[in-house]
Amino acid sequence: MSWISVLAARLRGIFGKQRFETDLDEEVHFHLDMLIEDNLAAGMDPAEARYDALRRFGPVELMKEQYRERLGLAFMDALAQDIRYALRTLRKSRGFATTTVAVLALAIGANTAMFSVLNAVLIRPLPYRSPEQLAMLWTERPTQNIREGRSGYWNVEQWRNQSRTFADIAAFDPASVMLMTSAGAERVSLVRTSYNFFSLLGVHPARGRVFSVREQAERQHVALISHRFWLSHFGGSPAALGASIDLDGFPSRIVGVLPDGFAFPFMNADIWEPATTLPDWDAKRAVRGPGSWFVVGRLRPNVTLREAQAEMSTIAHRLDEHGPSLEEKSGISVVPLHLEVTGPRSRLSLWMLMGAVLTVLLIAATNVASLAVARNASREREIAIRIALGANRARIVRQLLTENLTLAAFAGVLGLAVAVAATDFVRMVQPEDVARLREVSVDARVLAATFLLSLLAGVLVGMAPAITATRQGGLLIGPEGGRNVAGGRASRRIRRGLIVTQFALAIVLLVGAGLFIRSLWSIENVQPGFRPDGILSVQMASPGSRPAAERAAVYDRILEQVASVPGVVSAGIIGDFFISGSPEQIVTTEGVDGVSQALRFRRDEVSADFFKTAGTPPC
Amino acid sequence: MAEKTDVWQGTLALMILRTLETMGPQHGYGIARRIEHTSGDRLLVNYGTLYPALLKLEQEGSIESEWGLSANNRRAKYYRISRAGKKQLERQIKEWEATTEILSRFLTREPA
Repeated sequence: MSWISVLAARLRGIFGKQRFETDLDEEVHFHLDMLIEDNLAAGMDPAEARYDALRRFGPVELMKEQYRERLGLAFMDALAQDIRYALRTLRKSRGFATTTVAVLALAIGANTAMFSVLNAVLIRPLPYRSPEQLAMLWTERPTQNIREGRSGYWNVEQWRNQSRTFADIAAFDPASVMLMTSAGAERVSLVRTSYNFFSLLGVHPARGRVFSVREQAERQHVALISHRFWLSHFGGSPAALGASIDLDGFPSRIVGVLPDGFAFPFMNADIWEPATTLPDWDAKRAVRGPGSWFVVGRLRPNVTLREAQAEMSTIAHRLDEHGPSLEEKSGISVVPLHLEVTGPRSRLSLWMLMGAVLTVLLIAATNVASLAVARNASREREIAIRIALGANRARIVRQLLTENLTLAAFAGVLGLAVAVAATDFVRMVQPEDVARLREVSVDARVLAATFLLSLLAGVLVGMAPAITATRQGGLLIGPEGGRNVAGGRASRRIRRGLIVTQFALAIVLLVGAGLFIRSLWSIENVQPGFRPDGILSVQMASPGSRPAAERAAVYDRILEQVASVPGVVSAGIIGDFFISGSPEQIVTTEGVDGVSQALRFRRDEVSADFFKTAGTPPC
Repeated sequence: MAEKTDVWQGTLALMILRTLETMGPQHGYGIARRIEHTSGDRLLVNYGTLYPALLKLEQEGSIESEWGLSANNRRAKYYRISRAGKKQLERQIKEWEATTEILSRFLTREPA
């Protein structure tokens, strides 16, 4: 007597309803006929026989009801009936239905879109093997107020050898090099990595292989290319493997192609090389303390971040003591990778946006709810009659709720369409500051979220009218009772409450929006130190490795040609417009009073007319 | 004639199964008559509960149904006990015997 077979039988009962009905009918008829026959045989006359048979059989309809109840799942039957009724009444008030569905669809769509952004950026795990074990390791330089500084290679190797909490540690360094092709010179982004970088991440090339140990030991020039590079420069042909490309004058052999979509956060490079290809590798390798390498590590299973941080701090301390004395103490800061990727500010803004969009949904729901309450006011009479006839109040509430849930279901489907369009838009626009926006899409989690949102909307909308409609009980108050469109006192009170809620929420949103706009405005109006109007900037690939005199001659020629373009008033050259690429330098001065001061600055090269062109006011 | 009592709740299923086991396939009317007959006409089968009970047994898999022709050439739905139903019957009979045995210990009147 397993409940599964009973459930299955009942489910079957729902679908074969018609057949069961006719069968039961026939069975009952047969039974009655037999009873009548018996009676006739016992000597009754036909009318009496029939009457007696019916009496003995008992109430037929009641029996059929009992039968029907056992036949299917009672609540599914009621649900189906409610939905049919809901569709009928909605078709009658088409205006209400369209408005409601439209409003809810927009709200649900916005929420779904926002949630899919949240999903892609914050919730979905990073596309590497066991991403929760990955963390970045930074060198802290407290005197320079740097919490996340890059590290020297020697340190990285020491950390790797000494750490018990990290299973593996790898280093990588972005750069840009000149690619010489038959079409000319092209600047490409490149990342140099330690040999264990890809195995640490758990990433395998789509084609070919990673660098071999021998290739790195012999400092051969080999490279891995990104999927994008493979398509653009080799047309996706398998001939790319083994082909040679000219990077900064060195021929590099391609040994593999990385999978499509692979990007280490904030490194979207085209070419990946072993660290050993650096021309000054031996020198670089010995650099202790702060350096130029980014470091990523994989924690051992079941090791917590706190344990790892504690161990690394101890190691840092040990290295400080035994290594050559540096002027400053350094520490190691361990940051989980997913935090690194999104950054605290994006997280905050995303959650705030989600909150805003939920508020919009609440506003939409209250709006629709007040519409629903007003609509129900005109049905008060119908409902009062039903209650007077003995209808179960809970059943009526359920039916009203179903009506609104049906509306919400339609809105949900429409909202999904809105959300898909919105996510496409986000993918296209891709604001720079938020990582992983490429991955925004509508997936299973998002669909589930949509479903829940629709449910929430439906319930929110349905509660108010359901309560008001049944509260009055069966009383038709006054001569107008039930015919008054605006409804009774209770429904008026609820409607007022809904309007107040809407206003309150709308004001919250407005204030929030106002604050956002104000911050945007102040950002726009920050003084950049030059006059940006009328300035065009061009990025040039520099002939970096040539002697200074040659470079100066090239720059002069370039400036001459640019200045002679009609419409150009003046031209200048600078190494990096925002002077962020070069390392910080520190000059310590010792004053006459014995107080030493440290001056921190960055330096760059400019042509003679640069500041005049940029419009930097002289100080 | 002695008072006819209504068939007790819950035992109807048991009686249906037993009837089908001894009689073989039978339609609803026949089952009811047989039950009344077996009880010596002391039990009155409420036809209203008969068909829902038959449905329940069918859903649980204890009986199976099939349309056929009755003795007087009428279309009727015939029920027969299934293998699972036979096992179920066995079990319930044993339970009943145990129950009545225990109860009789309490209720037996001491010889005066």
